[in-house]
Formats: sequence, structure tokens, C-alpha cells
Amino acid sequence: MMTNGVVHANLFGIKDWVTPYKIAVLVLLNEMGRTGEGAVSLVERRKLNQLLLPLLQGPDITLSKLYKLIEESCPQLANSVQIRIKLMAEGELKDMEQFFDDLSDSFSGTEPEVHKTSVVGLFLRHMILAYSKLSFSQVFKLYTALQQYFQNGEKKSVEDADMDREDAERQMEKEELDVSVREEEVSCSGPLSQKQAEFFLSQQAALLKNDETKALTPASLQKELNNLLKFNPDFAEAHYLSYLNNLRVQDVFSSTHSLLHYFDRLILTGAEGKSNGEEGYGRSLRYAALNLAALHCRFGHYQQAELALQEAIRIAQESNDHVCLQHCLSWLYVLGQKRADSYVLLEHSVKKAVHFGLPYLASLGIQSLVQQRAFAGKTANKLMDALKDSDLLHWKHSLSELIDISIAQKTAIWRLYGRSTMALQQAQMLLSMNSLESVNAGVQQNNTESFAVALCHLAELHAEQGCFTAAAEVLQHLKERFPPNSQHAQLWMLCDQKIQFDRAMNDGKFHLADSLVTGITALNGIEGVYRKAVVKQAQNQMTEAHKLLQKLLTYCQKLKNTEMVISVLLSVAELYWRSSSPTIAMPVLLEALALSKEYRLQYLASETVLNLAYAQLILGIPEQALTLLHMAIEPILADGAILDKGRAMFLVSKCQVASAASYDPVKRAEALEAAVENLNEAKNYFAKVDCRERIRDVAYFQARLYHALGKTQERNQCAMVFRQLHQELPSHGVPLINHL
Amino acid sequence: MAASSSVVSVAAAAAAVPGVSTSADFSDLRDIKKQLLLIAGLTRERGLLHSSKWSAELAFSLPALPLSELQPPPPLTEEDAQDVDAYTLAKAYFDVKEYDRAAHFLQGCNSKKAYFLYMYSRYLSGEKKKDDETVDSLGPLEKGQVKNEALRELRVELSRKHQARGLDGFGLYLYGVVLRKLDLVKEAIDVFVEATHVLPLHWGAWLELCNLITDKEMLKFLSLPDTWMKEFFLAHIYTELQLIEEALQKYQHLIDVGFSKSSYIVSQIAVAYHNIRDIDKALSIFNELRKQDPYRIENMDTFSNLLYVRSMKSELSYLAHNLCEIDKYRVETCCVIGNYYSLRSQHEKAALYFQRALKLNPRYLGAWTLMGHEYMEMKNTSAAIQAYRHAIEVNKRDYRAWYGLGQTYEILKMPFYCLYYYRRAHQLRPNDSRMLVALGECYEKLNQLVEAKKCYWRAYAVGDVEKMALVKLAKLHEQLTESEQAAQCYIKYIQDIYSCGEVVEHLEESTAFRYLAQYYFKCKLWDEASTCAQKCCAFNDTREEGKALLRQILQLRNQGETPSTDTPAEQLTNLKHASSPQL
Repeated sequence: MMTNGVVHANLFGIKDWVTPYKIAVLVLLNEMGRTGEGAVSLVERRKLNQLLLPLLQGPDITLSKLYKLIEESCPQLANSVQIRIKLMAEGELKDMEQFFDDLSDSFSGTEPEVHKTSVVGLFLRHMILAYSKLSFSQVFKLYTALQQYFQNGEKKSVEDADMDREDAERQMEKEELDVSVREEEVSCSGPLSQKQAEFFLSQQAALLKNDETKALTPASLQKELNNLLKFNPDFAEAHYLSYLNNLRVQDVFSSTHSLLHYFDRLILTGAEGKSNGEEGYGRSLRYAALNLAALHCRFGHYQQAELALQEAIRIAQESNDHVCLQHCLSWLYVLGQKRADSYVLLEHSVKKAVHFGLPYLASLGIQSLVQQRAFAGKTANKLMDALKDSDLLHWKHSLSELIDISIAQKTAIWRLYGRSTMALQQAQMLLSMNSLESVNAGVQQNNTESFAVALCHLAELHAEQGCFTAAAEVLQHLKERFPPNSQHAQLWMLCDQKIQFDRAMNDGKFHLADSLVTGITALNGIEGVYRKAVVKQAQNQMTEAHKLLQKLLTYCQKLKNTEMVISVLLSVAELYWRSSSPTIAMPVLLEALALSKEYRLQYLASETVLNLAYAQLILGIPEQALTLLHMAIEPILADGAILDKGRAMFLVSKCQVASAASYDPVKRAEALEAAVENLNEAKNYFAKVDCRERIRDVAYFQARLYHALGKTQERNQCAMVFRQLHQELPSHGVPLINHL
Repeated sequence: MAASSSVVSVAAAAAAVPGVSTSADFSDLRDIKKQLLLIAGLTRERGLLHSSKWSAELAFSLPALPLSELQPPPPLTEEDAQDVDAYTLAKAYFDVKEYDRAAHFLQGCNSKKAYFLYMYSRYLSGEKKKDDETVDSLGPLEKGQVKNEALRELRVELSRKHQARGLDGFGLYLYGVVLRKLDLVKEAIDVFVEATHVLPLHWGAWLELCNLITDKEMLKFLSLPDTWMKEFFLAHIYTELQLIEEALQKYQHLIDVGFSKSSYIVSQIAVAYHNIRDIDKALSIFNELRKQDPYRIENMDTFSNLLYVRSMKSELSYLAHNLCEIDKYRVETCCVIGNYYSLRSQHEKAALYFQRALKLNPRYLGAWTLMGHEYMEMKNTSAAIQAYRHAIEVNKRDYRAWYGLGQTYEILKMPFYCLYYYRRAHQLRPNDSRMLVALGECYEKLNQLVEAKKCYWRAYAVGDVEKMALVKLAKLHEQLTESEQAAQCYIKYIQDIYSCGEVVEHLEESTAFRYLAQYYFKCKLWDEASTCAQKCCAFNDTREEGKALLRQILQLRNQGETPSTDTPAEQLTNLKHASSPQL
């Protein structure tokens, strides 16, 4: 048969073919019709009816499995089905022919057992039609297939107690064949029926999307697919799955190959399926180009992606396909993210998407817009408002994937603004919501990017609060859920390295931190350079650190990466006051403060204030510093990391001591007492994050204070602590107390 | 006589001792002829018809032997004598294609000949049944699973015999074929190599080996017997692997030693010339071949391709009618007719004939590609894509199908998308300028001019067939205002055209002259400018411009401007002699 000039495999245009399994189902139906009302109890009949639909629509299963299923709902019927199949299989060809002749009887009569247009009726008629279309030799083949099917079922139920000589001989022959044949056999045992293949493909695709770890490994999946394609090269979907599979292992060549092959094939089916062939055909062309763009984007070939996208846009425009154009527009934004005016595109895209009724694209656009705006320093309430609005959309259309993204985004935004509590709450919400979702809808999406992001934030938040074991547990979980070669693994890898780096820095193990820098650079270049500079600074290689920081600063300013700019500014300022020129540090710090206030990055703002106060302290205006600190200490104590809290308290006490110098003795003693208290608090904080270097400083300082207050015993205790720590830790030649 | 008797004994025992029977050189053509006649007989007795045909053809091309030198048929052994009745009966059944019947009567025969026929009939019966099954299978998915059921049993039995060293050269050949059908390529290659060692005269084993070897590296690592048959094998495989130069050398050598009358070699040479697109030579050889062997159908599809390329309608029509009279249900005939209709722009009918060819032999690769071309002509792009994809499925290395896919997508205005396909085609034929030009055009459409320039330059470097690469390159340079390079390209182009001496009208000639005239004018090289402008006047579209330029030059000369003698002049001398331009 030829349509469009291409030879088709499917000669009759019927998807359903009579298979032995289908005969068994037909027998079951026939038996159900034959047994009257009384024979089967109502409960059993209901169970059977429930069983029927999956049997009719599902893939072929073995006979023993089928028996088991029937037995579970109605044992006596199972028995009679078994007997009838046995009779048919062990009888003659005539029995099967008779069976099919009798089948159509169920429609006849005044009160037919089966209605012609019911699900069962349609199935029966399909089968009868398919059977009557079989040629002479095909009928015989079907019968032998039935016999084999029956024997296979028997073999499984009756364990091979007596193996006759023939079997033994066959066994011998098999043993003679070498291993390669056996391997071939294994690979040949692939899915047989169309439905089975479709089921396999959709199952694997869903697993790849939602929970990659449960899907087959890339190699074995590819093997299955190759096998499938060997049997049916026209099965285009398999090529697409093979494309997805190749993406998993980052194989650019094979994935391109599979993708293009898929679309080459799809063009046929698309033209065939639609009544006006040209429409379906052109459609697949557009999406082919669009998918190619996505592929190149995935592999980071942005220029290629842009070219492919332009092509997709052009074709879509020519054929007035607004939906496709919308998708293109979203991709255009993704590609043009680095450009300054990209948000215009995005706004446009959102409006259009709403207009064309594409909720998914619209809210995805809103989300990107929110992200972009957050970086541009828009106020939180506006962003949250926008997110809330899009959330409404999500719930309305039950776009669970987007809900997840939205929550993950909220987590990130709260963290960006330095509100750790809120961030923590959102992250927890996402994680616990998942369990709720899975109960309700049965879809489990725990392999998506939003989960990775939320979990990473969770780990970092815990690490900030000094709960390193908890952070490690979260990371361990991430490792299990997103194995190292999976798509989102880079997220946790970076997070893990950052946490390790921070710990190493706290602990004063700079060489360890230095070794981590390479890993971080591989995953995120900018972050890597920054950390490198920080390590260099800690190791007193000031000139090199300064050079790096300056370079990074100009680069980040170009990219408009404000967060990093402020961090770099802070490091530069620290560099200045560590090299005893706090006056130069002042304008730098003020710039940082202005920036962080403008972008509402509270966390960085308080960090800047700390630095500023410290610079003032060095400059000899502790009163000023103290007032400044009072302003900043609240958010730090509320949301800041443990280390920052300790640093703030330490600084407060330092300022208190410094400003107390001018007081009269009584007031001074009071101030010193207060300072000692603050120091104790600072020590507790530092102890939580194992920051022994700072504890040493605190001990030294405390000892001096106790000395001034005349408390010898306490002084001695602190001095001892200091001495112990001082012997353990190497001194890096930095004057004590000369860091924040 | 000693030598000939040794040949007989060896062949009669189906070459139990390897490497004695055939020498590596062609010094004794009489001996070779004897061997060929012998093997033709042996293969005929075993039903290996194609090998028999090949050997007989080759033997026919050598001078006839006198009666005294003609070999008597090899004497019968005791075993043969026992099986002679069963063999005779079975061979008769075999000849009328009753394979199961033949196999039935050969059961239990011990002689090598009878055993081979027994196994071979079982194999063929399985193949025949497989083909019949494909027509009425149960469902589309089962279609791919139809297998030759006999293969597994045959493999088991043959491998047992093989291990016991009980297989002769023909048995090994059959074992290899069975292994190949089971997709056990590595094992199959080993067995075929062994078969060629044991019985080097059997062309079938060599031919199977040709199909299994995919690249030159593989060929290097095979240890083949050192016989004169190896020369034929190497020539054949070089043609298959597109190593045309080497193949032509080998064939020339074979002709020199005395096989000049062999129609096989002549046709292979013609095919080789076709592959390197030396159309005139290939055409003349094919014409010669048709005179020698007017009823030959093999390779006539290639011949028709050549006629098609040269648009020789009447010759193609004659060939098509002639072949149709000889045998209209041959793949080659259908292909020739398809080409004929295509040339007459009756693409629907052409596609129909290519489809018929595919029905006759689904693995006939060329027809898929040609059908794709027809659909392209009919603007049925989706069907074209399907056809090309099928072609690629049959043979991944079919560069024409990849190129066709690229063209299809180019027609659909997807220049970026088709880059991938052109690249694949280019990979397979790195020295074919057509793919490079196509790639360059795509890059140009995508505004990737640097890449486009590279492609055109490379296309020119590997020898441009259509002579368009230079013009395109020049235009690119023009676009990028690199006037010097543009001028050089145009000069090179004009030189190319004139050196070819073709009378074919080149559209771009006028453009080249016009640009050059203006270029020289800008460089104030009046003489050269006016020569070029005069050339311009020879073409319709540039006549007016040329005249205007001439006038301007005259005017400026009259004003007394003397031609400057600095760099442009030097350059001109360079250009005049035009060595390779520095691009």
C-alpha cells in the first residue's frame, strides 16, 4: 500500500492484530458471557469488569500472568478459561476456527450479550475483522503461535520435572553455541507488540523526565532502543527517546543524529495523520528547527542555537504559527539573557502567551522575568506579587512542575535578600509538598531542577548555621537523587565544594581551600576566581589578590552581576584595611553599601556595615562605629550566618572597649563587663562553626579585658585557652585582632 | 604436466592443502585458464551459480586451449561413487528450486560435494521461506522478526564440522554466509578468510569478504592468500571503498597481463571512472562493452546514470528499450527506465519504476536515492526525505542520500538544518567539491562569511567540478570589500575557464570581466582596464557598462594621467602569470 509514495508496513491499516494473548482474552470474554447471572457473585463480577479494561488496552502478557490476574478476581472462571484454552491449543486448528465463528454469535439474538458499540463490543468486532482478514497460511501461523503460547504458559506452571531426551539434546546443542549467540538472544528478547513498545517508550521517557535514577542506565536503554529499531525502523518515537538518552551522557553527535532522524521520520507520520498533509508536515519542520536550537543550547553552542532558532522563527512566521513563535520567543530570551534589553522581549512574550492562551509559557515567562528583575534590584513585594499571580495560574491549570519552580525561585529570592528564615521555610515547603503531591496524583517529580535548587539552598543554609552534619546529610541525599552524571548534578557539586571551602577557610586550612578552588572554577568560573582571590588574601599574597579582584570587578560590572560586585568590593576594602590604609577602604565600602541598599541585598548590606564599622574603629572613631553597628546588628542576629553573628558581636565588644577609653572608671568597668558578655556570645558562635582562629582572638581579647577588670582567675583561664590554641594554630604573620 | 596434475588433485580434493594450487603472478595464463575452467565446473556442480558465471566469463576472455591441454573432469572418489545417484537426483531437484526435496534425498550422504549441496539446499530453502513469510506476517512488528529458521541449525552443524576440520572450501564459504546472515560479522570474516586460503579460486568467498570490509584499515589487517585471485579481490574492494586511483591501477595491470577481453574488468573500470566522475571515459568504455556483450544487463544502471548526466536522451531511450526487451523484471532495467522517464521530466513514472526496482530487490540501494531525487523534482519533500532515509538505512555511507537530504532541507529554506546533512556527505566524500560548495552556500545564507570563504576555497582546492566556487568566493570577497582578493579570484576563474577551453557559456564570465575592469580602473592600470572593458562589450548584459568605462578611460588618459608604476603594476605582473593567489 502506498500513500505519498512510500511503502507502508501496515498493510490493512489496522493496528490490532490477532495474537495468542488476544485469543485468551477473547476466551475470557466468551466465558464471562456464557456464565449466567447466578454463577459469579456480584463482587467477583465487578472485579472482573475492572480487570477487563487494562487487559484490553495493555500490552501482551504471558499466559500464566493472565491466569493469575483472573484468579485474583474470580478463581472459578480462571479454571474454565484455562480448560478452554487447553482444549483449543491441544486440539485441532478446527477448534480455533470454530471459536472465531462462534464469537460473532454474541451480537445476535434479541437480547445480545454484548452491545455492538461498547468497549468490549468494539474489541470483539476488531478481532473478528482482523481474524477474517488473515490469509490461509497466516491462520495456521496464528494457531502454531497459540500452541507455543500455551506451552510456554504450561512450562512455567509445571516445573520441568521430566525433561525428555529431545530437550536434553537441544540443551546440548545450545551449549555448543558460544557466548556471542547467547548475548544476541538476550538482546532479541525485546518488546514484541506495538503497544508494548509504546508503553516501554512512554514509561522510560516519563522516568527520564521525573526520576532519572529509576530509568534504565543509558547503555542498557540504548541497547533496548537499538533492538526496537531493528525490528521496526519506522518507530520514530524511539529515535526521540534515544536523543534524550544521548543527552544524558552528553553525547552531542549521537543526540544530534537521533534528533534529526526522529524529525525525518516524523515528517511522514505527521503528513499521514493530518487530513491536510501540508499543515502537519510544516509543523514538524518548525519544531525540528526549534528542537535543534534547544539541543545546541543544552550543549552550550549558543551561536549555533541562535542560527537554528532564527530558522525556526522564520518558518513559523511564514506559516503564521503563533504558538510555535511563542516557544521561539521564550528560547530567544534564554539565548539573549546576557543582553541588557532582553527583558523587553520577555515582557512581550508573556503578554503574547497570555493572549494565545498558553499558560505554561506565560508563567514560565513571568518566572524568568521575576528572576531577571530580582537581579535588577526590584522590590521584593512586587516580585512576590508577580509570583503569587502566576501561582494562581499554576494551580488553576495544575501545572505542578511550575509550582515547584515557583517555590524554588522564592527560596532563591529570599536568600538573595538575605532572609534565611524565609528561605528555609520555602525550601521546606517545596520538599514536604512533594509528598503531598505524590499521594494525590501519583506523579512523582523529584528529579527536577527545582528540587535540586531547593535542596542545595537547604544544605547551604544549614551549613551557614553551623549544622554541618545536617548539611552533609542533605548533600548525601542529593548525591543519591542526582547521580554525578545527571543533568542537575553540577548544582550540588558546586554547593558541596562551596561549603567545604568555607569550612576550610574558617578552620584556617588555606591549602585545603586552595585545592578546592580548581573544582569550583570548573563549575563556575566567576565564583572560582573570587574564591581564589580570597585564599590568596588569606595567605597574605596581597598584590596577586588585588590584581585578581580588580579584574573580576570590571568583568562583573560588565555582566551586571551585582551580588558578586559587592562581594568583590568588600574583599577589596578588606585588602586595603589589612594593608593599613583604612582611609582608602572607606569609599569602596560606601560604594558597596550604596549598591547593596539599591538592590536590597540585606545580607550583603549588613556585611558591608560590619566592614565599615571596623574601618571606623581602625580610624579611631569607635563611637561612630558603635552607632553604625547598632543599626546593622539586628538583621544580622535575625538572619545572618553564625559566623557573621560572631563577627558582629566581637566587633561590638571591640568598639565598646575602644569607646570606653574616654569614660570615667565606673562607667568604664560597666562597659568592659558588657564587652566581656558580648565576647562570650561571640565565642559561642565561633565555637559552633569551629572557627578556632577567631576563638583564639576572642580569648586573647577577653583575657586582656579580665586583666583590666582585675579578675585574675578568669583572665588566667582565658589566657590558657589562648595559649593552647596559639600553639595548635600556625600564625600567618597577620597581627592578631587585625581582622574582622 | 606435473604442475597441471597437481592442480587437478588439489582441486578434486577440494583443496585440502592450502596455497599450492595457485601462484601469485600471471606468468602462466594457460594454467590460470585451466584453473578457471575447473572451478567453473566445481561451482556449477554445487549450485553456486554466480561464482560459476564469473569464472566462466573470465575463462572466456583468455585464449582457447588446444584439445591436448584440456583437462578431463576430476576423477570420482569412492565416496562420490556411493552418493552419485542421490546427488544426481538432488541436483535435478535443486535446479528446479525444490530445495527441501533435494535436501531430503541428500540426507546421510558423506561425500563433500553431496554434503555441501545438502547444506546449501537447506540454507536456500530457509531463505526462500523467509522471503515468502515477509509477505504475509502477523502484524507489522513481526515483519522485522522474520528470520531464516534454518540458520541456527545450520550454524550448529557447520560449526561442529568446522571444529573437526571437516569443511572444504565450499563448506567454509557456506558457514561464513550463515554467520553473516546471523550478523556475526567478525566470525564471518575469519571464516571467509579461511575459505579463501583453502580454496582461493572461489570468487564467491572473495565477494562476501568485500561486503564485510568497511574500511582500508580492516583490509590491512587481513592475512589473505598470495594468489592471482587476490589481485581481482583488491581491485574490486578498492572500487567499493572509493579508492578509485588504486583500483584503476590494479585493473590496468590485469588488462596488461592478458585479461583485456574480460567484460567483467571492462565494466569495473567503467564503474570506477563513473565514481570519479570522468564521464567521457566511462561512457566510451560502456559503449565498447555493449558492443562486446550486447545482452549484458549488469552495470547498465550505472551506464544510464552517465547518459542521464550528459542528457543523452536518444541513447538512454535506446538503452531502456533494449534492456526492456532482454528482461524487463530486472532491477537494473527498472532503474534505467526510471532514469529515462526522469530525463523526460515524467517524474511520477520514474518514481514508479524505481519503486518497482525496490520491490524486486529491497536492498538495491541506488533506487532509494534515485527515488528521493524524483520526489524532489515533484516537490514532494516529505516523500523525498523518507526515500533518502531509507537509502541511509540500507547503507550509512551513501553520500548521495545525505546530500539529497541536505538539498531537501535547503529547498525548505532551512539552511542551518541542512548543514548537518551536508557535513555528513562531506565527511564521506572529503574531496568532492559539490558538498563543499553546498556547505559554503548554506554558510553564506546564514551570514557566516568566514566559514563560507573557507568552504569555497577548499572546494576550489580539491578541484571544482562546476567551476562555481571561485566566482562565489570572489563575490564574497567583493561583499567584504576585499577587492584585491576578489580580483585575484576572478582572474583565476577566467584563467580556469580559458584553460579548459570549453565552449559552454559561462554566465559569470561577464561579471568577472566587469569587476576586473573596474578594479583595474581604480588601480589606474588603464591598459588592463580597457582590455577588460573591451571583453565586457562582448556580453549582452555588460555591454553598456563596458563602453562607458572605455570612454572614461579614454578621457582620463587624455587628461594626461600617467599610469603609476608602484604596487598595482607589480601585482598585475603577478596576476598575469597568475601563480596561486595568496588568499
